[in-house]
Amino acid sequence: MHYSFDIERGNFTDAGHASASVKRTLKQLDVAPASIKRIVVALYEAEINAVAHAYGGKIDVEIDPEKIVMVVADEGPGIPNVDLAMTEGWSTASQKVREMGFGAGMGLPNIKKNTDELKIDTRIGVGTTLTMTVYLNS
Amino acid sequence: MAQETYFHHSLKINDYLCTGCSSCIRACPTAALRIRDGKVILSDNKCVDCGECMRTCPSRAIYVKQDDFQLMDNFKYRVALVPVTFIAQFESRYKTKAIYSCLRELGFTHIYEVEHGTKFLARLYRQYMADHPEIRTFISPYCPAVIRLIQVRFPSLVDNIIPLKSPLDVAARVILRQLMAEGVSRGSIGIFYVTPCAAKIASVKSPVSGQDTCIAGVINMDFLYNKVKLLLKNAGKDAVAVNHSLTGKDILWPVTGGESALFSESSFAVDGLANVIEFLENLEDENIDVPGLVEMRICDQSCMGGPLTVNNRFVARNRLEKRAQLVDRVLRIRKEDPTLDNPEFTDDLAKQLVIPAIKPRSMLKLSDDFSTAFRMAEEMKRLEKALPGINCAACGAPTCAAFAEDVVRGEADIDGCVFADIRNNPPDALRKVWGERLDNQNTTTK
Repeated sequence: MHYSFDIERGNFTDAGHASASVKRTLKQLDVAPASIKRIVVALYEAEINAVAHAYGGKIDVEIDPEKIVMVVADEGPGIPNVDLAMTEGWSTASQKVREMGFGAGMGLPNIKKNTDELKIDTRIGVGTTLTMTVYLNS
Repeated sequence: MAQETYFHHSLKINDYLCTGCSSCIRACPTAALRIRDGKVILSDNKCVDCGECMRTCPSRAIYVKQDDFQLMDNFKYRVALVPVTFIAQFESRYKTKAIYSCLRELGFTHIYEVEHGTKFLARLYRQYMADHPEIRTFISPYCPAVIRLIQVRFPSLVDNIIPLKSPLDVAARVILRQLMAEGVSRGSIGIFYVTPCAAKIASVKSPVSGQDTCIAGVINMDFLYNKVKLLLKNAGKDAVAVNHSLTGKDILWPVTGGESALFSESSFAVDGLANVIEFLENLEDENIDVPGLVEMRICDQSCMGGPLTVNNRFVARNRLEKRAQLVDRVLRIRKEDPTLDNPEFTDDLAKQLVIPAIKPRSMLKLSDDFSTAFRMAEEMKRLEKALPGINCAACGAPTCAAFAEDVVRGEADIDGCVFADIRNNPPDALRKVWGERLDNQNTTTK
């Protein structure tokens, strides 16, 4: 089953629609609540990252009987140092974003924690693609 | 489909009055209602007893079934277990004393206010919270409709509910203990709870744990209001002494914010169906960080807005606030309920108030078998795209999504949608409403 959503820069208020509709399907499949929570948190974090840092992007979610694969691809500045970005508390978020309560530097570490597989493709000045996989029924 | 019934329901439909208008099916938060053969039907395991359908029905076809009032005659000692919400139904010129004397006249031998149990219960909440540092957000178990809503729609949050019974369970056991201490036999005591809503009846009739609730019968608040109002009009009553051991805080418990006020460290109060659902969604997605206790009631203005209340909810609230102020100002010295000071009794009571397990009862899952559920979900998604998406309810389901679900579950036929075929080529009359094409309105996922 495929879902796709657009990401708009700076639109924090609309973020969360993607995770809401994915959540509905996962509940219908009776996926364990703990797994649903991990998926929703990871997807939401990734969406917020793109909203805060990129110029725009797209979310593609594919659910099959074994796993859910969530691809969040943005056009943006890219991540200069992935290892640093994976460090809790490290953030390049602007003051404006921080004032909205985001940008605490927990995004990527939180995504890592809540997914079974995380692939980060990033090119400076081009954009970042996160591929997040969570196995269902594990 | 034969299914085990988890919940007792007191919400009933009068087929004679029901016109099949579909108002109620749209109001239901769990999509538990459908129209079949021109009448509304209720799915027992989806219904959470919130009473929204009853509120919205223009034909008064939905009602709350209560116990026979004559049931009282079977008992020598007839206790009215009355929430303060009942007094709040009357205009302020009718004093508490006068209202209670009417209850005596109606045949009750004892009148006891439910909220006597709140202080004790709040202590148990606190103990539970202290014993579970791993839980960040605790949801109050007070509103039974909220508990059921969580069970069927937010199963991941069942462990956040404090597994304790309600003030009425405390009060019933206290009054039982007091009467039996006076030498009265258990069999001759009948305790009757006066309820502001259907959900409380359901929790008495099928308590989550299956334990005895000590309640002989439940009386609808609006029914008793009518009986008392008639007597009040006829005036000239013997005054009944009101037991003034309730504190202002006890009195405000059923009002929004009354329960959370006892947890000043960190607490939240949420009322109203839409607010409760939004809060639970946010909590589930961890979009909000809510440490401490969340008081959550399904009715706007909490029990003041119960479906069986009579008075305007804000006026009712005001009456309780005034009573609470008066009590705190005037009655400085208050005698505590001695029964709740006896550790032998309270230790045992604390054990009886524990609900062993609040189980998730997800009504969202399509099948127990994962691959079947997966195929059904795929089919549903495909169907939803083919349906007109106007949620007209002509098929008897509240939304096109609910109809698609009924079809994949085998509970409805795709032919039930009269607009599926004409949506792409609407007749002139509908073209004015729908515009030229409907396809692309229904295909975006965002």
